Amino acid sequence: MSKIIIGRYLPGSTFVYRVDPRAKLLTTFYFIIMIFLATNWQGYLAITIFGLAAVVATGLKAKVFWDGVKPMIWLILFTALMQTFFMAGGTTYWHWWIFTLSSEGIINGIYVFLRFSLIILVSTVMTVTTKPLEIADAMEWILKPLKLFKVNVGMISLVISIALRFVPTLFDQTVKIMNAQRSRGADFNDGGLIKRAKSVVPMLVPLFIDSLEVALDLSTAMESRGYKGSEGRTRYRILTWSKVDLVPLFYCIILTILMVTTRML
Amino acid sequence: MKSETKAKFGLTKLELRDLVLLAMVVAIKVVLGKFSVGNATLQVGFGFIGSVMLGFFFGPWWGFVGGALSDLVSSAIFGNLGGFFIGYTLTAALGPMIYGFFFYKKPVQIWRVIAATILVTIICNIWLNTLWVSLMYGAKFMAALATRIVKEMITPWIQMIITWFVLQALSRVKQSKKF
Repeated sequence: MSKIIIGRYLPGSTFVYRVDPRAKLLTTFYFIIMIFLATNWQGYLAITIFGLAAVVATGLKAKVFWDGVKPMIWLILFTALMQTFFMAGGTTYWHWWIFTLSSEGIINGIYVFLRFSLIILVSTVMTVTTKPLEIADAMEWILKPLKLFKVNVGMISLVISIALRFVPTLFDQTVKIMNAQRSRGADFNDGGLIKRAKSVVPMLVPLFIDSLEVALDLSTAMESRGYKGSEGRTRYRILTWSKVDLVPLFYCIILTILMVTTRML
Repeated sequence: MKSETKAKFGLTKLELRDLVLLAMVVAIKVVLGKFSVGNATLQVGFGFIGSVMLGFFFGPWWGFVGGALSDLVSSAIFGNLGGFFIGYTLTAALGPMIYGFFFYKKPVQIWRVIAATILVTIICNIWLNTLWVSLMYGAKFMAALATRIVKEMITPWIQMIITWFVLQALSRVKQSKKF
């Protein structure tokens, strides 16, 4: 329960930072779709070059990206290993029960490892070069087509904004509550299973009561300022497209051409 | 949550206060997702408690919405560990929905806690999340499952115990004047 930094944004000045958050979010989604198309080594080579190009373009140190991969590294390696042993084909080097080590298996293990790393790297580019508030705005923009299904997107945006605003507050509140309970003898990290399960209650109930009070206060404040629902309101914080947003567009187009052609090889 | 009027899709309309409360519970879920209990070998995250709260207070449909939004908010603030993928948003939405079917406006009973936890574990954690991992990373389903299965066999039992105590405490809050 050490200190957790809210937001992974790291300031910088390369062009990646000036790209519209909507373009960055769409490019991240698109990159993951394009990775599905990679089936042979040419495809993986192309997508790796493009993924690394995005990483280099941020101008950030390698350690930033290593920190993104680090929490997942055992999962990545273990899944890649499992894939290696479950996949049979080509030359067989070693065989035992359901496990086989073969040339195809090794290649497939490397492919899984590449996919994992590339997806994490590109997602890290997204979160590290964009402020959380901008990412949220981009998500709201992407949710807009849900209007076709009569979903109240304005209401959903409101929930996102309030939740986003109150995560740091509630985070501080949680730490404070835990310290207050600790000062009276509560122990959150010791004792048996049942005791630990019970120890969640003195943390959660005050947190929820706080939230109830905040909800009551905030809704009263919003209504007294004239909030009558999400319709018929203007926007103060606006995202605007610029010329630099053509870069992710070309990036996606060239990537598509490469992935489709390598697949046909 | 006294005045509720029926609206489309079986979603009951929320008063502004309840909408703000939904946002707060979404924020609680995001915060709890960063905490965990356990020792060096086994860590159980607290994110599921947020899902239980969403389902218990807002029911399956708003729970679904809240779960999906909690995934978006958490990705925006902390980044998505496994990469941005819509499948995980769906899983995050289904969890509170299942809890909602079992807990919303229902008495807290042991069988409900056990059944809900097992269903969430099987549908969301074992089946869907493994499916997403295998889809995204091009691994065989069995290979992805082998990586995850051990943890998913142990954590549900711990989750059940925590859910049981949490629900009892929360129903006390629900009956109090605060609500």
